[in-house]
Amino acid sequence: MNILELNNLKKYFATQKAVDDISMQVPRGSIFGLLGPNGAGKTTLIRMITGIFYPDAGEIFLKGKKFDPENDFRYIGYMPEERGLYKKMKIGEQALYLARLKGLSKADAMEKIKAWFKRFEMESWWNKKVEDLSKGMGQKLQFVITVLHEPDLIILDEPFSGLDPVNSNLIKDEIYRLAQNGTTIIFSTHRMEQVEEICDKIVLVNKGKKILDGSVAEIKQDFKENLFSIHLEKIPETINNNSFEVVKTNLNELVVKIKEDSKPNDVLGYFINQGASIVSFKEMLPSLNDIFIRLVEGTPSARQFEEIRS
Amino acid sequence: MNKIFLIIKREYLTRVRKRTFIISTILFPLLYLLLIFGTGYIAEKSRPDLKVALIDRSGLMREGLVNKANMQDSSCTLNLIKNNTENVIARFDSMGYDAYVVIPENTDWRKGVDSLLLTSNKTYGIGVTIPIQNKLNRIWDEIKNDSLGIDAPKKLILATSTISLKLNNAKNKEADAGTATVIGYACGFLMYIILLLYGSQVMMGVMEEKTNRIAEVMVSSVKPFQLMMGKIIGIGLVALTQFLIWIGCILLIYVIGKYTGNNTGMMAGAVLQIQKAFSSVNLPLVVGCFIFYMLAGFFFYSSLYGAIGSAINEDMREAQSLSFPITMLIIFSIALMSSAISNPGSPVAVWASIIPFSSPIVMMARIPFGVPNTVPWWQLVLSMASLMVGFIFTTWFAGRIYRTGILMYGKKPSWKEMIKWAFRK
Repeated sequence: MNILELNNLKKYFATQKAVDDISMQVPRGSIFGLLGPNGAGKTTLIRMITGIFYPDAGEIFLKGKKFDPENDFRYIGYMPEERGLYKKMKIGEQALYLARLKGLSKADAMEKIKAWFKRFEMESWWNKKVEDLSKGMGQKLQFVITVLHEPDLIILDEPFSGLDPVNSNLIKDEIYRLAQNGTTIIFSTHRMEQVEEICDKIVLVNKGKKILDGSVAEIKQDFKENLFSIHLEKIPETINNNSFEVVKTNLNELVVKIKEDSKPNDVLGYFINQGASIVSFKEMLPSLNDIFIRLVEGTPSARQFEEIRS
Repeated sequence: MNKIFLIIKREYLTRVRKRTFIISTILFPLLYLLLIFGTGYIAEKSRPDLKVALIDRSGLMREGLVNKANMQDSSCTLNLIKNNTENVIARFDSMGYDAYVVIPENTDWRKGVDSLLLTSNKTYGIGVTIPIQNKLNRIWDEIKNDSLGIDAPKKLILATSTISLKLNNAKNKEADAGTATVIGYACGFLMYIILLLYGSQVMMGVMEEKTNRIAEVMVSSVKPFQLMMGKIIGIGLVALTQFLIWIGCILLIYVIGKYTGNNTGMMAGAVLQIQKAFSSVNLPLVVGCFIFYMLAGFFFYSSLYGAIGSAINEDMREAQSLSFPITMLIIFSIALMSSAISNPGSPVAVWASIIPFSSPIVMMARIPFGVPNTVPWWQLVLSMASLMVGFIFTTWFAGRIYRTGILMYGKKPSWKEMIKWAFRK
């Protein structure tokens, strides 16, 4: 079941089509990657999902019902890319205030804050002010505030920026744990290695349009170039076979591209017949980074302003 | 509704709990009094006491009369010079005189002298020349009396028998224009300071939310309008709290002074002043109206300040240039107030106290003159109603700007762009 469905969403600003006819489905309990280069329209899309902007056209369904920002805000937890908290306010009071704005009762909010602070070893922070925190500590606090009210849908915009590896892992583990408990996480980033590691499903947007949609494994299959790496004890002097061609030769390794209608078995058969001893044989799938760059390449690095007529 | 209450509570408590709130509550009345009395004191102290050479060529002046006049009034000193006059005229500066006056030969005591020249090396204001003129006239009166043969008892009659005017309002026997003027000025200026001070607090608060980037976190759980209204109402309540503390303190001084029987010194003076104010002005009405105009005027202006705060970025200079038109409206109101106090019934005063932008200040300056005599009930009701319509409009207008501005980073918008934000769908 999909927790979130977007149908033909559009949002035009005076000089840009920020989001131009995007549809997508986010399955419940998934970790969903929303990818795109800078200025692709990710933030605008997220702002529509969080009810900050009204879409110019299109529909949003949350939990199977039409999205109603007035009441559905409590099902959503949003951590914007630009982190922000009241600098002069005590951390405990601030967490309580923001939790109560999400509709929690005072006692309930208190209990949850205490539990989270304990989990993240932040108990001693209660009476400190935000301005006393380091950037990484601030990030942790922001994450806690985002997930405190146990939303069904959590939207994290670049959640790991500015975190050291230890704290990154801490947050990552929390994301996995939350997903296991049925929370859906939308993850907006342009850091591909994280996406590859964490996300089940991704959508790639560029210039306000969706250009890719699917599971990470599917997409890699779709973009594979039938490249295989063969590790041999000794590379034969001449290689001549019409089922594949050698793309690259390293020390004891060949990268081969298998032609259409041929199979990996043909390659292995050839080398076995040649009497070469095979150490390893592995399919080479493209990384998301490669796919991202290939799809986005040719787009100017900054979006140009355009005249919008509606 | 619950959410807006939470926002109000936060805005209120974070401000009231701050040490600056307590300090400003105590210091402000002291500074206010210092401002009023201090400027008067400085003006008094800084006025130069001129030493003037009174060169008499007419032979009318007598040493005794001049000395007597110097004794009676020390605001300037006259030295009578009968001989060696040319020398004094040439070298009055080095002889220690600030100026000199020549009474010409053949001056007739029956006719006096028109446009007698006070010659000096500097230019003095009217506040300096008037005392000299008064002193010369006092001496001149004595000369006339003596020449007319008026003896001491007759002189006394001439000096004491005068007519002085006091305004009496037929419908309101208690009215006292003097006290009303003082209270009117005090109310007008207090309103002016509160509007500017707390209005800019709203602007700073909104700017803080924007520059700390918490706005986006907030608007994902509350509506921008709720966020703005929460802030405005919260800060408005802070202003109200401060005002009520002041009123409470004044009442406390009054009650303590009245019932402890301690009728000496400053305390007694203060009690007397408050009693006088109570008897001549309808103080409960003034305080009630003040609270209404303070809150309504605050909503009117602070929502505009809030809209500006939402539109700009970190830069204080942007804030100043955008808020200039709003601040000008408040300053213009003070200019209108001065004219309204000197003639509280004039058309300018009436209209300025009904039109929303100036009404909080101008109406508060007029109310101490009496309702319903100086300010008829219809004017008060119309003024209040139009101010309410005014602030509903400005908060609506500001809310529209706010919801766009709060998430907009980058270039500072112009007023024209902001108005466009307000009126698009």
